Amino acid sequence: MRNPYEVLGIKEGASEEEIKKAYRELVKKYHPDQFQNNPLSSLAEEKLREVNEAYEYLMKNGNFRDDRDFRNNGERWQNQNNSGFYNRVRVCVKNGDIGTAEDMLNGTADRSSQWYYLKGLVFLRRGWYDEAYSHIQTAVNMDPSNYEYRDALNRLNISTRTYRGDAFGRGYGRGADLCTICQCLWCTDCCCEMSGGDCISCC
Amino acid sequence: MFGYIEPLKPELKIREYELFRAYYCGVCKSIGKRCGQLSRLALNYDSTFLAIFLSSLYEEPPCVKAGTCLVHPLKKRNIIANDDVIRYASDINVLLAYYNFEDNRHDEHSVLATAGILALRRAYKKLKAMYPLKCDIIEKRLGELRQLENEKCASMDKSAEPFGRLMEEVFAYQPLCGDEKRESALRWIGYNIGKWIYIADAFDDVEKDIRQKAYNPLLCQFEFKGGDPVPFKASIRERVEFCLTYSLSEIAKACQLLGSRKNAGIVENILYMGMLKKTEDILTGT
Repeated sequence: MRNPYEVLGIKEGASEEEIKKAYRELVKKYHPDQFQNNPLSSLAEEKLREVNEAYEYLMKNGNFRDDRDFRNNGERWQNQNNSGFYNRVRVCVKNGDIGTAEDMLNGTADRSSQWYYLKGLVFLRRGWYDEAYSHIQTAVNMDPSNYEYRDALNRLNISTRTYRGDAFGRGYGRGADLCTICQCLWCTDCCCEMSGGDCISCC
Repeated sequence: MFGYIEPLKPELKIREYELFRAYYCGVCKSIGKRCGQLSRLALNYDSTFLAIFLSSLYEEPPCVKAGTCLVHPLKKRNIIANDDVIRYASDINVLLAYYNFEDNRHDEHSVLATAGILALRRAYKKLKAMYPLKCDIIEKRLGELRQLENEKCASMDKSAEPFGRLMEEVFAYQPLCGDEKRESALRWIGYNIGKWIYIADAFDDVEKDIRQKAYNPLLCQFEFKGGDPVPFKASIRERVEFCLTYSLSEIAKACQLLGSRKNAGIVENILYMGMLKKTEDILTGT
């Protein structure tokens, strides 16, 4: 499955509203009615199927921005290939019962990619960001094709990037740099020479 | 470990800068009044932030008065009048300074730390009687911190946990904790600030800890084998940077949810610029 955000042509972390809007537009674009007797009809069908899948994935997994819960750090549902055990762990993580989830994960000998992924989510909830990152990274390395794991890893990076972007938007890093300060100093010095305030004597 | 939380001054508006100064003076004066003039030497920027941040959650505008003080006897300055938040921030300042002195005395047997303890002992006893629960929790966390240090804990997350939990307690200012959601946001902010301070400090102290053969979680986690600290620091920079920036992003998100009612300019300056600048300065060693 391709990255559903890419399929819908929206940026990661888009809101539910944005997802719906993008979905409606794409459905119109690829609708079979538009491609009747058209050599591209099968391609359009394929595209539409992809769009539907992506939309369903995002909707089912609640994979859109939720501003109400700041601790909701990206744990979500995945119905494919889940054993009952991991499903129960997922329920605990989702409900914020981190202690139980952690005990369950510590109690199993399994070290599959899914184990690393869920352990990473548990760490994230605890605020153990370094451990969270390396566990989710391990899950991605073990199963690079899994969208859910890559998505979680991406989210971690997006979060720090968003913060930096917000800082930049508030004026961070756009102030006078050293070069500008030197230039000001030099100009001031040139102007003040006549009145005896020279501090760079050669110019 | 203290004094990391500062505004980025060039980006403050003049009136914000004045207000920041007024809070700083307010906390300083309050320390003098409540804990004795000598305790004022323990003043730091972190508690100024605590005061500004907690008051930002109240609606009443800050009450500014002009006044003089011992350090600046001639010039009148703007000072925030003593209110509950200022008192709390000044008490926390003295408490944490006292614990810090104790910690230093234990680690380095420094004369300065012993002198500090003697100077603050009376104030500490008074504060312990005023905040028995908070003090118990803080002391418990410091005990956990010491134990992890003795065990040479090899995980920055794990070793930062007690200090995060300690700051969580500091930020859980009782009068604002009536609402469960707000309390959890306050605690989350405190936890992440503590974590940020602890890990930033660990990175900052790498050279010093190598020289003094002292415990440092980063040296343990990334298995420092001796030699030049510069390439070692460069090799772990990205990992540490992620952890620090992620903590800052969580603080910022939680603050947005709380929605400050005043002082927003200063609070945002500190969260988005001052702390980020500090992070970058520490990571690049400037």
